[in-house]
Amino acid sequence: MKSVKEMREVVIAGVGITKWGFYEDRDWYDFGSEAILNVLKDADMEWKDIQAAFHGNCYAGVGSGHQCVKEVGLTGIPVINVENACSSGTSALRLAYYLIGTEIYDVVLAFGTEKTWRGPIPSRAFRPWQLRLGWNFQPGNYANDSVEYMKATGATVEDFSRVTVKNRKNAALNPNARFQKPVTLEEVMNSRMVAYPLHLLHCCPLADGAAAVILCSKDKLRRKDKVITVAAAVLTSGVYGEQATPAASQKSLKFPPPMGLAELSAQQAYEIAGIGPEDIDVAQAYDTMTPSELWGVESLGFCKKGEAPHLLREGVFDINGKIPVNTDGGLMGRGHPMGATALGQVYEIVLQLRGEAGPRQVEGAKIGLAHAMGAGPNSSVTILKK
Amino acid sequence: MATNEKKKIPVKEELWATPTSPGEEPQLIGSKCPSCGEVYFPKMLKGWCVHCQQPGLEDIKLSRKGKIASFTVIMQPPAGGFYKGPVPYAYGWVDLPEEVRVETLFTGCDFEELKAGKDFTELEPGADVELVIEKVFDDDEGNEVMTHKFKPVKK
Repeated sequence: MKSVKEMREVVIAGVGITKWGFYEDRDWYDFGSEAILNVLKDADMEWKDIQAAFHGNCYAGVGSGHQCVKEVGLTGIPVINVENACSSGTSALRLAYYLIGTEIYDVVLAFGTEKTWRGPIPSRAFRPWQLRLGWNFQPGNYANDSVEYMKATGATVEDFSRVTVKNRKNAALNPNARFQKPVTLEEVMNSRMVAYPLHLLHCCPLADGAAAVILCSKDKLRRKDKVITVAAAVLTSGVYGEQATPAASQKSLKFPPPMGLAELSAQQAYEIAGIGPEDIDVAQAYDTMTPSELWGVESLGFCKKGEAPHLLREGVFDINGKIPVNTDGGLMGRGHPMGATALGQVYEIVLQLRGEAGPRQVEGAKIGLAHAMGAGPNSSVTILKK
Repeated sequence: MATNEKKKIPVKEELWATPTSPGEEPQLIGSKCPSCGEVYFPKMLKGWCVHCQQPGLEDIKLSRKGKIASFTVIMQPPAGGFYKGPVPYAYGWVDLPEEVRVETLFTGCDFEELKAGKDFTELEPGADVELVIEKVFDDDEGNEVMTHKFKPVKK
């Protein structure tokens, strides 16, 4: 087996996104084709330049990517649909990255779309008997993790609420985010209880939307002004003994894993990129429920286990902090179209590294990281550098 | 009349062993690996150990008492309409002496304080709990759907 480090350099040719929100009269192929047109424009490319397309989506069903592509152009290229829950988008990106790196293709599109539910996701990643026992309530599974995290670290519900306040504040600076208004700590704490100890405003809102990235070999790049390289694109799917809901495995008390899934993907990504967590200037963490941003940044190595709540209060994860996290509002502010979410994170990192993030720009950002997890379980870490 | 009695149907076969003689209590059925010692609940129907990737798991009966590892209380019905039981309801994880973590519903909790917005103290990590077999809900045919639950041991 060859090493990833032997591959040729893969760069970002362009990025595209749509405004995320609820659209009663639009469906995934509509957002998807809009995102494709946006990314072609950003990359200064034409559809005939694209040699293959990978599409992340969870719930649209058969041929969902093809439905988007046929609104743009039919050139006979392979279109492949990738369902990997909330990591679908970066799973698609990773396939594009490897096929360019190994010189099979030069220019590949990765895009993600979702037309989501209204209300909780009716996840089917459970056995029928578990569904009948009511264990398919997504905030509930995170709530169990949260109670355990609180017990282990002393974190409080107020800490979880501060993540919401930070991310909604950032979302207000992002015109593509679903939520454009900040919230106060009191509003979060007073929102209704959903799954003890989590309140409604600790749970990310769904959204309809799409995001797209074109990757290419360096010689095919059109926009040569701001070159951004894919330093790592890692996906890990399940380690034995880790408590991984929904329904993937139970925590092993006899054989706990030496490293959790998120830590494993981060470690692999840092190794491939030849950097460490201390080199990251801006990060998108996976705040599907706000406590998961806290244990997420710990898993990524930005601080030790249990330190994140304290650092959050100090402002370390603010846009002007030492390690800005979820500068675009995260899942909490941007919304969560499952198949598009992970590429929405990549979109933000690209803007940040280009210096095009406007009022939420992190000064001097050179290396960025995007981390998405999700049912399966999956954990994807993408590192970009300029 | 016997014909009017509701039929009790387990939510899943072989989750627990029903007592065969008076004085016995129901016990959860797990699987134990004779090679590595790993313990699973529910039992692994193929007898395959996912930890050491070997066949040959053996059934074991698990202790009826354990400690809460974590819990949550769900305040609204989950999506999909599969769960037809009462709301709020509590579920989480219980650690048993056989060194196995069991996912379970909790019973015997009062949710009134929680519903009133007060602090919830009915369940807590580390607290002692005991196995009971109880109804979750009546299904559409009028049968009682039964499952394992854990109940706080009153001190």
